[in-house]
Amino acid sequence: MHPFGDLSAYLDGALSSEARASVQAHLDTCALCRTRLAELRGTARLIAALPMPVPSRSLVPRVSVPVWLAPLRTFSTFASGAAIFLFLASAVIATFPRAQSAATAGAPAPNAVSAPQASSAGGSAAPSGFQGFQVSSPSPAPAPAVADKAASSATPAASANEIGRQDSVGVPSNAAAATRENSTPEPANPFAFLLSPWLWLVLAIGFAALSFAVGRRLRST
Amino acid sequence: MRPELGGASDVLLDRARRGDARAFEQLALEIERPLYRHAARMLGHDDAEDCVQDALLSAWKSMASFEGTSFRAWVFRIVTNRALDRLRSRKRRPELPLEPPSENDDSVSWAEPIATGPELADLAADREALLVVEDALAMIPADQRAALLLRDVEGFAYEEIATITSTEIGTVKSRIHRGRLAVRNILISRGWKGSAG
Repeated sequence: MHPFGDLSAYLDGALSSEARASVQAHLDTCALCRTRLAELRGTARLIAALPMPVPSRSLVPRVSVPVWLAPLRTFSTFASGAAIFLFLASAVIATFPRAQSAATAGAPAPNAVSAPQASSAGGSAAPSGFQGFQVSSPSPAPAPAVADKAASSATPAASANEIGRQDSVGVPSNAAAATRENSTPEPANPFAFLLSPWLWLVLAIGFAALSFAVGRRLRST
Repeated sequence: MRPELGGASDVLLDRARRGDARAFEQLALEIERPLYRHAARMLGHDDAEDCVQDALLSAWKSMASFEGTSFRAWVFRIVTNRALDRLRSRKRRPELPLEPPSENDDSVSWAEPIATGPELADLAADREALLVVEDALAMIPADQRAALLLRDVEGFAYEEIATITSTEIGTVKSRIHRGRLAVRNILISRGWKGSAG
């Protein structure tokens, strides 16, 4: 009886010592079994010689995460929120003219009131405060009222300042000079770019994108 | 035939068990290609990448509960089980029906060579023969294919294959023999002549 069923195990060295000896003894006398054994050996070698397929990408899951990644996402999220807030704030500020410069120009001396009065024609706010929205572009309501005065005085004035201040007649050139005189001393602000809404908008978008990307990386682990 | 994980890998294994992600990645990197080779032969290239990646991720998640000594055999078990599950759910490729399972392996028939041709034992470097073997492997039953690949390609011992496939050693022996015989028969049917012994 041919031990065909044991030939593969014999080939692989998986038989017990007794079974191996028995098969060996049979092989010594049986050409057919030797043939079958050689065929199985050749088949096993062919299988072992198959070309190794290669994956198209890395299959190792990225389970290790840099320690700084999670804090980076937290920082990016808060930075994006802060940038959005600053964007909105700077956008609001940008809609108002320079109230500060008009306020500082009108406050120091009474005889300098004419300058704001005159400069209000050019668009600065009255010392009393937030009437600048009227003068950033000529507003119809107060303008006609003061226009009459201006026609005589050549200086459209804010309502609070026109009372008893008629010595602004013929002052436009002086007022302009006074305006220039009052405005030029103010030094250029090197940080004026920080008031740009576009700056904060770009930063908000950038930090939001960074937070999103880092979050995806963390979730992929 | 297969590279054994040495002492350095034992250190990595110990660290990976304790949650060291980088150590696990290093271990996975060492067996990534053999795992893919095995999955590709089992499933085909399309699903092999996903199968291996899912298996490695599953291995990482259950790393703390790994108690054996052979990380390689453990991960191969995960990949083999996933591949067999996918094949069962796929069921798109009817496998070549062999003769009905028999209790006696000696009753499995041996195809006879029909004409002269290259010796089977000399075909190792023959590209055409390798293509025939690739086709033949795809045609035999999945459990025989798994056992044959684990033995002849990956070099696992019968005991390890029994652990990987969750079967008895006798079953492993039977599957390997039947699988080899089936491939041999297909080669013979394509005109190859067996060795004269």
